[in-house]
Amino acid sequence: MNTKTLVFLLLCLSLFFASCTNDDDGIIAQPSGDYANGLLISHEGNFGQGNASVSYVSYDFQTVENNVFSNVNGTPLGDSAQSIAFDGDLAYIVLNVSNKIEVVNRYSFESVATITSGLNNPRYMAIANGKGYVTNWGDGGDATDDYLAVIDLSNNAITSQVISVEEGPEKIVGDGNRLYVAHQGGFSQNNIVSVIDAMSNSVSATIEVGDVPNSMQLDAAGNLWVLSGGKPAYTNDETAGKISKINTNTNTVTSLDFAMTEHPNLLNIDNGQVYYYLAGSVYKMDATAIALPTSAQLTGLNFYGMLVENEIVYGLDAVDFSSNGSLNVYDLNTNTEVESIELNIIPGEVYLN
Amino acid sequence: MKQITTLFLAFATCAIAISQTSLDSIQRLDEVLLSDVKLTRYASGLKIETLTDSVLQKNKRSFTDLLRYNSNIYFKENGYGMVSSPSFRGTNASQTAVVWNGININSQLNGQTDFNLISTSNYSSISIRSGGGSVQYGSGAIGGTVHLNNVLSFDTHFDNELQLGYGSFNTKNAHYKFSYGNKNWSANFGLAYRDSDNDYKYLGSTRTNENAAFNNLDINLNLGYVLSDKDVLKVYHQNFRSDREFSATILAPSKSKYESEDYRSLLEWAHIGNTLSSSLKAVHLLEQFKYFENKDTNNFSKGQANTWQVKHRLTNTFSKQLELSIITDYSYITADGDSFNDPKRNAFSATAILSHSPTQNLQYNLNVRQDVISDFKSPFVFSGDVSYQLASFYTLKFNASKNFRVPTFNDLYWNPGGNLDLKPEDSCQLDLGHEFKYHTIGLKLNTFYIKTSNLIQWRPNQFSGYWNPMNIANAKQYGLEAELALERQIGKHRFDFNLNYSYTKTEDLAKNQALFYVPIHMANAALAYSHKDFSTYYQHLYNGAVKIIGGSLKGFDVGNLGFGYRFKTKSKLSYQADFSIDNLYNTYYENVALRPMPNRNFNLKLTLNF
Repeated sequence: MNTKTLVFLLLCLSLFFASCTNDDDGIIAQPSGDYANGLLISHEGNFGQGNASVSYVSYDFQTVENNVFSNVNGTPLGDSAQSIAFDGDLAYIVLNVSNKIEVVNRYSFESVATITSGLNNPRYMAIANGKGYVTNWGDGGDATDDYLAVIDLSNNAITSQVISVEEGPEKIVGDGNRLYVAHQGGFSQNNIVSVIDAMSNSVSATIEVGDVPNSMQLDAAGNLWVLSGGKPAYTNDETAGKISKINTNTNTVTSLDFAMTEHPNLLNIDNGQVYYYLAGSVYKMDATAIALPTSAQLTGLNFYGMLVENEIVYGLDAVDFSSNGSLNVYDLNTNTEVESIELNIIPGEVYLN
Repeated sequence: MKQITTLFLAFATCAIAISQTSLDSIQRLDEVLLSDVKLTRYASGLKIETLTDSVLQKNKRSFTDLLRYNSNIYFKENGYGMVSSPSFRGTNASQTAVVWNGININSQLNGQTDFNLISTSNYSSISIRSGGGSVQYGSGAIGGTVHLNNVLSFDTHFDNELQLGYGSFNTKNAHYKFSYGNKNWSANFGLAYRDSDNDYKYLGSTRTNENAAFNNLDINLNLGYVLSDKDVLKVYHQNFRSDREFSATILAPSKSKYESEDYRSLLEWAHIGNTLSSSLKAVHLLEQFKYFENKDTNNFSKGQANTWQVKHRLTNTFSKQLELSIITDYSYITADGDSFNDPKRNAFSATAILSHSPTQNLQYNLNVRQDVISDFKSPFVFSGDVSYQLASFYTLKFNASKNFRVPTFNDLYWNPGGNLDLKPEDSCQLDLGHEFKYHTIGLKLNTFYIKTSNLIQWRPNQFSGYWNPMNIANAKQYGLEAELALERQIGKHRFDFNLNYSYTKTEDLAKNQALFYVPIHMANAALAYSHKDFSTYYQHLYNGAVKIIGGSLKGFDVGNLGFGYRFKTKSKLSYQADFSIDNLYNTYYENVALRPMPNRNFNLKLTLNF
C-alpha cells in the first residue's frame, strides 16, 4: 500500500490543521473617551447571551458609538443591562442576568468598580440620602424574597443593609430622603408603590395604584405620577391601565382609568405634559386634564423604551429582538420623525448625559 | 384522504400485474429482528449511515459527542452536558426527528430531542438517515432522522458486559448489559449510569465551569418471543432519568437545575407471512420535567406529556420486485403543566409506501401520507426516492420529499403567548447522492436543497407585551456532504479511516441573512489502528465559525486520542482497558457563545465481557 494510502490519510488530516485560522474580524470603534452632551442608551441584549451594551449618540446625532463600555474597557459589559442610574460623575449600569452593577465614569466610561455581591435579579437603582438603592426580584418564582440592596456610594460597595419589600419591585425614584418603588410584580402582577424612608432604611408606607405599575416620574410640583399597565388578558383577570397622581405630602391618590383592553406604558413628564405609549402610539395629556386624550400625537410606532425631553421624543425600537434596534427621534412640534439611528440588540432605556 | 385512496388504488392495480414469488429471506429476518423495517427497506435512495456496536463502544461519552465526531450533524451544546440541539443540514432542532425502534420520540412539548438526554450505551446500533422523512416518521423529520435501534437476536447466546469508567472532573460511568437468546426467546437488558461534576477549568482564566454537574441513568429492557414460525411478539422498554444543573456562562451566574424523566414502552406483534406481513404496535411515551430556578429551594415549574399510540402496518409482497405497505396510526396525546391548561390532541395518519425494483440495479420507493390532527390542518406529504447502480462501483441516488413539522403544545397552548392559529411548517427538498464503493474504499457525495415555509418563531408582540409564536419565517438550506471510509488490513495491522465533511449555506429569506448557529464548514475525521490486541485511534473535529445574534462565533479544532488493550483468557471472559485523552491540544473553544467547553481531560475505562 501503502505509502500512497498513508500519504493520502496524512493529507486529509493536514487539511484540518490548516483550517485552524483566526477570524477575529470584529471591528472595534475607536473610543472617544468623551460621552458628554449626548444620549446614553442601555441595551438589554438577549437573555443569557451576554450581549448587553451601551451606545452613545450625541445630541446633534452626528456621533454614534455602540459598545461604549467594551470599547473603553476591553471587556464585555455583561448579560441583560436593565438600566443605568447616575450619581455625580458616575454611572451605575445594572446587569440583571449577570447579577452585577458596573460602575463607570459617565463621561469617559472608564470602569471604576464592579459590584458583584448582594444582588439577586437586580432591576433599577436610585439615589437617596447619599446612598444607592437597587430593586431586586430575588428568585423570580418566589414572591417573598424581594428586596432593596443598599450601596455605600463612597466606596461603591454593597452594605449589609437589606430592605425587604413586596413582590416584584421594579422602577425606583429618589426624592431627597425618600424613595418610591413601583411593584410591577416580577413574573406575577402587583399593584403598589412602596415609600422607603432612606434615613431609617425601612418601608414607611404602601400606596395602592393600578395593576402592574410600569413607569413613574416626579413632576415639578413634587407629585409622583405612576402609570400602571393593568393585568394582561392571559391572566384571565384582565384589568384596565391607570394613571395615578400621588401627592407626596399626603400620599393621596387621584387617578384616570383606561379602557379595559388598554395597557399603556413608558410614562414621561415634560414641560407640564404627561406622555405615554399605548399600542403603537404616543399620547400627550396636560397634567391638569381630567380625562384621557382620545387622539394620539404619534402613531405607527414600535417602542420598547422612550424618553421625552423638551418636546423631543427619543423612542427605542427593539425590532424582533434578534436584529439591531434603533433610536427614532420625533419632534412633537411637528409630530414628525427627525432622525433614525441603528443601534445594537434590544435597546431598552435612553438617558440624557 | 382522497389522494391516498387514489394512490392506493393505483398501486394495487399495478401490483396485481406482477407475478408473485416468495418472500426474500433477508427481509424476513428484518421483520424478526427489528422494529423499524422502514429504515432498511424503503430508503434505498437516501443516505443512511449506521454506527455499529463497535463504534458506540469506542465513543462512549455522550450521544452528542458520538454524532459530532461520526456524522455530518452539527450540535449546539449549551455548555458541556447541557441542552444539546442538533442542526441537520442547516435545519433547526425541531426539524430533526429522533426515532426509537421506529417511534418518533421528539418532545410533544417543544418538538425537540435534547441529545444529552439520550444514552448511547444500550442500543445495538444508531443510524443517521439524511434528508426528509415525514412520510415515514412524521412531524419534524425535515433535515434528517436519527434512529436508535435495539436488535432482538434469536441465536442461542448469553453475553454479559460490565464496564466501569472514571475520568477528569470526577466523571463516573458504569454500564452493565446482557443479551440472551434461544430459538424462542430473546432478551436484552442494559443499565447505564453517568455522573460528572463537570467543573472543568476555563482555559486562560482562574474560573471553572460552575453549576454544571449532571447525572443520568438509562434502563432498557427488550424482550422477544417467537409465537409460531410466522409470529413474533416483541416488547421494548426504556426509562431515562436525568438530573442536571444548568451551567453558568462567562457573564452570568446560574443556580438553576433541571430534572427530567422519560418512559418509553412499545409492544409489537409482528406477523410474517409469505406474501402478507403485518405489524401491530401499541406505544406509550411519557416525558416529564421539573425546572428549578434556584436549585437550593423547592420552587419549580413542571410539565409532562403522555402519548398513547396504536400503529398498524400491512405489507403485501407481490413479488421480489414489488411490495406495498399501508401504515395507519392513531395517537392520543395529553399534556399537563404549570404553563398549560390540560391540552389534548388526537392524531391519525395513513401512509402508503410502494417499493419497486424493476431490475436488479434499480429500486425506487413512492410514499404518501396524510395526517388528520385535532387542533389544526396538516399537509398532505409525499416522497419518492430512487437508487440506480450504474456500475459495480457506482450507485446514483436521488430523493425528493415534502415534509412538515406540527406546532408543539408549547406553541399552541403556552400561557401566555400560545397561538391556536398556527399552521404546520412545510418543507420541500431534493437530495442527489453518488455512492462509490471500490474494494474497501467508500465515498458518498450528496448535494441537497431544502426550502421551508411557515417556520414557527416566537416574536415579541408589542400590543400584548408578551411573545407569540407565529408562522413568520421562510428559510432555505443547501449544500454538500462528503463521506469517505477506508479500511486496510495488512497482516495483523488494521487501519480504518473515516471522514465527514459538510458545506452548508442557509438563508433566512425574510431577513436575507444566514441562519444563526449553522457552520458553513464542518468536518470530522477518525483514524483507527489496531494490531492484535492493541488498538488506538485519533479523532478530529473542525467546526467552522457560526453567525450568532449581533456577530459571529469563532470556529474551532479539537482532537481526541485513545488507546485500548484487550486481555483474553482461556474462557469466554475477556478484559479490555481503554484510556482516552479528549481535547488533546488543550484548545479553548466555545460551541455556544460564552460557554467554554472542557479543557484537556482523561478517561479510563475497564470492560469485562463474559
